[in-house]
Amino acid sequence: MIVCVAVVGHQNNPLYLQSFTAADDALKLHHIIHCSLDVVDERVNNPKKSGPTLNETFLGMLYPTENYKVYGYLTNTKVKFLMVTTDLEVKDADVRSFFRKFHAAFVDAVSNPFHVPGKKITSKIFAERISGIVKSFGSVTAG
Amino acid sequence: MGREVAESCIDGVIIEMVSAYCNRFYGSKPELAARRIEAIGYQVGHQLIERYTMERPRFSDHLEAIKFICKDFWSELFKKHIDNLKTNHRGTFVLQDNKFRWLTRVSIDPSSENLEASQDSPVLTPEHKVEVTSMHLYFPCGIIRGALSNLGIPCAVSADISNLPACKLHLDFGDNKNFPPRMLPE
Amino acid sequence: MAPLAPKTGDAVFASIDRVNAELFTLTYGAMVRQLLTDLEEVDEVNKQLDQMGYNIGIRLIDEFLAKSNVSRCVDFKETADVIAKVGFKMFLGVAAAVTNWDAEGTSFSLVLEDNPLVDFVELPDTCQGLHYCNILSGVIRGALEMVSMKTEVTWVRDMLHGDDAYELRVKLLKQVPEEYPYKDDE
Repeated sequence: MIVCVAVVGHQNNPLYLQSFTAADDALKLHHIIHCSLDVVDERVNNPKKSGPTLNETFLGMLYPTENYKVYGYLTNTKVKFLMVTTDLEVKDADVRSFFRKFHAAFVDAVSNPFHVPGKKITSKIFAERISGIVKSFGSVTAG
Repeated sequence: MGREVAESCIDGVIIEMVSAYCNRFYGSKPELAARRIEAIGYQVGHQLIERYTMERPRFSDHLEAIKFICKDFWSELFKKHIDNLKTNHRGTFVLQDNKFRWLTRVSIDPSSENLEASQDSPVLTPEHKVEVTSMHLYFPCGIIRGALSNLGIPCAVSADISNLPACKLHLDFGDNKNFPPRMLPE
Repeated sequence: MAPLAPKTGDAVFASIDRVNAELFTLTYGAMVRQLLTDLEEVDEVNKQLDQMGYNIGIRLIDEFLAKSNVSRCVDFKETADVIAKVGFKMFLGVAAAVTNWDAEGTSFSLVLEDNPLVDFVELPDTCQGLHYCNILSGVIRGALEMVSMKTEVTWVRDMLHGDDAYELRVKLLKQVPEEYPYKDDE
């Protein structure tokens, strides 16, 4: 189950943060998101010289904690998408698909002429779409 | 293939936008009009690059990003690639489009406020024509500046239209200018 | 030579130059946003959008008549259908519906649900008085004036304000008889 998603700008400014779990976990999740950003920066600045993954937007799993796995994605415009899940067995294809849909929703949200770049995304439509994408995570390939 | 509209829709909006800012809002302050038109372009470029880089990996370096602008991005906007790309290897690039679409399609009428004097208007001085054309170009300059800025490559963009219908865009990465340089001859 | 048969909206749309709708949508949006910043008053922006639309409409009608082969409309009812099925389709790529004719046949509604102008748009609470698509009312008014019909065009429904469709009310005020371009000398 996805417990949290975040969108972070290129100056590590928070653009969107949504938890899908009980409130007392929220602080822990924020901490996880924070740490993830460091991992993203490290991955991007010190990439493993393995060719094909060098410039991919999908960064893969950033790090596992005791209860969670964190996945990351970095756009060309240096915006980071983070996803935190409690699922133990996560299929690569599912996560990639998740981030593709997430990216599409993000692009539409920032295409609103009244959105201010660098400021938080306040779109209700975006929030609804993200909820929908989170709900349908893994359902395609679920056994 | 995504959604499409008639090209005359965008032509019409651009003409009216420039006319409104130059004639109605900042009639005696062309510098202010230019900045507004450029700012509108900047927002468009900022948003378009987000969309047009969605399905592709990140650029390895600035040169790759600029080439993207010259090929894919330019095609999405103008249905063709940039014809020529030059650099002085010291932070300046020059993009040349030999037949800039918006200059050939858009019939630029400086007296568009006065309907009577349209196609058969009295002879425009070359200077006047250049001035009006320059105003229109602040918009695509803004688009390119907005796109590059969102890719993490801030620069100044200016247009050289001394050889119509060719258009040269100068990208200057040296100074981190935020305001469009003057395009009118001094 | 027999007159050319009028084309359907789809046929005309397929035959003209088209662009990616996003360029149009985002340009219009950035312009509206800039107008709000510069003019501050929502009513003033509504007015400017209408004026711009009018200026576009008076030019667009020529392209419309030329490309669609539509001949002189017999009556206002025919005019309405042509605007909705051919006009909207040819420029915006979407057809509108004609509804709610009044008893005299001098006013009708144009209804649109799909509207490229408003893709991605979410109005902030501070702009509730804004008629975001007001350019459309100006275009219709301007175009009809060029074919001798003076109309009043007003908004009835607006999806950006929570309604289920866009509805424009078009009311014929005066049918101006055709005037010769050459006045008798006095």
